[in-house]
Amino acid sequence: MCAFSYIGKRIPKPDAVEKATGRVIYGHDLKVPRMLHAKVLRSPLPHAHILHVDTSRAERLPGVKAVITADDFPPRRFGFAKDRTPLTGDKVRRVGDEVAAVAAVDEETAEEALELIRVEYEPLPAVFDPEEALKPDAPLIHEERGSNLFRHQEYVHGNPDRALDEADVVVEDVFELGYMQPTPLETCFCLAAFDPSGRLTVWSTTQIPFLLQRDLAEALGIPGHHIRIIQTAIGGGFGRGLDMYSFEPICVWLARKAGRPVRLAFTRQEEFIAAECRQPMRIWSRAGAMKDGRLWVRDVKVLLDNGAYVSWGTVTTLVFMETVGSLYRVPHARMVSDSVYTNNPITGAVRGFGNPQSTFVVETQMDRLAEAIGMDPLEFRLRNANRPFEETPQGIKVTSCGLKECLEAVAERIGWKHRHERRPQEGPVRRGIGIAATMNVGGGARIYRSDGCGAIVKVDDFGQVTVMTGATEIGQGSDVIVAQIVAEELGIPPETILIVNNDTALTPWDVGVHASRTTFIAGNAALIAAREVKRQILETAEELLEAAAEDLELRDGFVVVRGSPERRVPFDKVVRARHFRQGGEVIVGHGWYDPPNEMVGADGKGNISAAYGFGAQAIEVEVDLETGKVKPLRVISAHDVGRAINPMYVEGQIEGGVVMGLGYALLEELQVREGRVLNPTLLDYRLLTALDAPQIESVIIETDDPEGPFGAKGVGEMGTNPTAAAVANAIYDAVGVRITQLPITPERVLRAVESRK
Amino acid sequence: MKGFEYYAPETLDAAVEILARYGEGAYPVAGGTDLIPKMRYGHVAPQAVVNLKRIPGLNRITSLENGGLHVGALVTLTQLSREALVRERYPVVAHIAGKMASAQVRNLATVGGNLCNAAPSADLAPPLIALDAEALIVGPEGERRVPLEHFFTGPGATVLGPGELLTAVLLPPPQPHTRAMYIKHAHREALDIAIVGVAALVRLAPGTATCQGARIVLGAVAPTPIRAREAEALLEGAPLTEEHIAEAGRLAAQAARPIDDVRGSAWYRRKMVDVLTRRAIAGTRGEGGDLT
Repeated sequence: MCAFSYIGKRIPKPDAVEKATGRVIYGHDLKVPRMLHAKVLRSPLPHAHILHVDTSRAERLPGVKAVITADDFPPRRFGFAKDRTPLTGDKVRRVGDEVAAVAAVDEETAEEALELIRVEYEPLPAVFDPEEALKPDAPLIHEERGSNLFRHQEYVHGNPDRALDEADVVVEDVFELGYMQPTPLETCFCLAAFDPSGRLTVWSTTQIPFLLQRDLAEALGIPGHHIRIIQTAIGGGFGRGLDMYSFEPICVWLARKAGRPVRLAFTRQEEFIAAECRQPMRIWSRAGAMKDGRLWVRDVKVLLDNGAYVSWGTVTTLVFMETVGSLYRVPHARMVSDSVYTNNPITGAVRGFGNPQSTFVVETQMDRLAEAIGMDPLEFRLRNANRPFEETPQGIKVTSCGLKECLEAVAERIGWKHRHERRPQEGPVRRGIGIAATMNVGGGARIYRSDGCGAIVKVDDFGQVTVMTGATEIGQGSDVIVAQIVAEELGIPPETILIVNNDTALTPWDVGVHASRTTFIAGNAALIAAREVKRQILETAEELLEAAAEDLELRDGFVVVRGSPERRVPFDKVVRARHFRQGGEVIVGHGWYDPPNEMVGADGKGNISAAYGFGAQAIEVEVDLETGKVKPLRVISAHDVGRAINPMYVEGQIEGGVVMGLGYALLEELQVREGRVLNPTLLDYRLLTALDAPQIESVIIETDDPEGPFGAKGVGEMGTNPTAAAVANAIYDAVGVRITQLPITPERVLRAVESRK
Repeated sequence: MKGFEYYAPETLDAAVEILARYGEGAYPVAGGTDLIPKMRYGHVAPQAVVNLKRIPGLNRITSLENGGLHVGALVTLTQLSREALVRERYPVVAHIAGKMASAQVRNLATVGGNLCNAAPSADLAPPLIALDAEALIVGPEGERRVPLEHFFTGPGATVLGPGELLTAVLLPPPQPHTRAMYIKHAHREALDIAIVGVAALVRLAPGTATCQGARIVLGAVAPTPIRAREAEALLEGAPLTEEHIAEAGRLAAQAARPIDDVRGSAWYRRKMVDVLTRRAIAGTRGEGGDLT
């Protein structure tokens, strides 16, 4: 392996101190002259006709500058299924549906104005359970569709029916997975302003600046090239920013009507009620194996509750399908899924995007199969593990693959072999260890026409390198990753590189920050651009040093003749030499990278990503048999990331992922009854605190992926995928009960323990 | 948040006068950790907010002549958890005060606020009731004392009448051979509200394992904190055997009147009263648990 100068180095995030000390300017902090404040009137009912909306009193309230209803908008729809309008005029389909909006000189006045708006509703029968919603007499959420079924999908390889008969053992479970909220610390935010020529600028917490530009154009009929999206410093994303929401076109339209900039920021309560959350799922799953340890078949049926409108989140079934069809070698697999409309809260993307759900199902049943054939769960997994450079029956082309190494690493470190030797067998508190693995897209994920990202690298007269990247920094550290990649290629310290990443008017296109794709895709784009810059520099340096390009190298800010270190010229001098002469030119390199992956076909097959990440976790828990309380004690998390461009950030992603995974496993649940969120506060929607987080040990496995930049693959979501399964397996190991419902609350554990008695 | 009149009186008399004048429309504020969020969410809309922090002396902890303690209503949870007098004489109180909410909230939140907010789950109430604490109340008619056990009348409701203020909690002198334990059962280690809280106090006959007096106080399982009197009666005069402790747990669970809410079901809460009562009583004997 060749030695790197900057790849693999633990370079701290430049924004870390600023964020920790509260000096970063977030969207919520922005103020512009003449700015107004917006508030949205939301439906208190889950399903009702709107008979009449009277805004006259609100309009007369001093300080109110604009009031809008559905009538103010052009008749256009938006969203993944084009089933939404920014404000709803005919009927409301969920609690929280946007009915009217106000812009006023301050938030208090806007709130007071909302109280003056009268809406007359005619309540309609509502449906809150996806199974009920599929019945023929169920109330229709979107009448024009004729059915509440949004999408039915079937995937199959091999012959699952025959395989279920053939298998020596078959296990069967029903899983119930609840609502999880992405819960970034910064709530939804938008600031919209038109300039005198009619061009629109939107400051936003989005994760998809270029798609937001397009979505706004589509929803409002404004030409796309008149829309500029500027991303503010983003206080967490976790998938929340993957769709345009109603509040964004609402904010823009208020700005247009008032003729002044308008700011709209969610309260925390609004965030819980009106931002998208993870889809609840009901899953029926069967899995079979042969006594000799071969995994034989999986047969899974998924019922997904979209809520009142469909978002990109409905595509989570594609990711779910990957785990079912391709995590471990499985010769026969089937998955049938129904995505259904209900009058429940809207759902969308949350880190992991279907994978924490599917991994919980698949890895719970891997444990059950191992037990049924009397094999050690680790050995059963190793025997069926994916291998490097194999194509699965699903058409997934695995390249680098360290699944086996990950499993072995976590087992070794947690003391898997001797796990039953020292633990207490008496008393109310027992201990157990569980293991689970994951596979995640690590080389992009083509769910849009382009999965690409662009980069521009320019060098100024002083040798300053600026990278304009489509990549979105949402706290994960992509700015430094991109800088490290460019630095390695150009032989200059990454700390000296400027990154411009947040403005659709300046940066080249990118599909968005999702699918753990930024290091791989934006990294490759930056690398291509940096190579072009390097070529230009060497071309000029050839003249200056009178040496051939192949004998030159870029090192420590100089171009050096290989083997003759005294023959060198500073980087900036080369730049000036190229620039200041007859026919000169400035140094600019452009890179565009769209990975060699493909859209998944209607049959669910296709190589969705150009590389796949693998990982495994071993978790030790303590279970109190009398209270049902589960305390995670220790987590070992090993991940094949191809190559760690910056190991500190990889560990950060893993640790953050684990904490989020533990939240999904044990604590986080948006409680929804009849369409209403019962716990829209950070007090009763519980994220782990530092006191609840156990010791987490990250293990980085490097497999040097052939397509990744310097061999790197994505890691953003992987850490959160296997956690719930590993926790559930550890609980079983400790007290012998199988929990198939998330989150695993003390009450659910206690009920399971008691029903076993 | 709606507009309101703001007062910052510098004497108790002035505060009482303002509170009496506004009646139910007036809300005293100290740390504001309960009131301000309620105002923000629109749960309450005070006509007048009366800041008590300018009144001298309300934030002191002083030793009483009888060996007891006077804890001013404006003593913060941080103060309560760190004060040597509290730690020595009533470690059970200091201990829970240091674990409630978060460090930032504990620096603001006060003893009086936690009690007057009268949440059925308030963590200070069960241990203070177990210690036979009294509420010292000042109002238009002068001063009165009410056993803390009788201070609460329902969720968010207390015996305080118009113009009345809780000024202090009075703790009787610690009894010899007496140990107490409070167990807060919550989903999280911090920043959480008890699903169930149980305080147990046991006084043993010197040199024996026979219980001479007991208090079992339950939080979050009734409209107010309640004593499990049948469980207390069972323990009094009886040896603290496993059987007695188990029976006390059962009796306490029977005394509970829990509801279903977002933090737990009535079924689970009743179960936990049984488990935690047993553990708290056993904890006072120093058998495992965090003895305070």
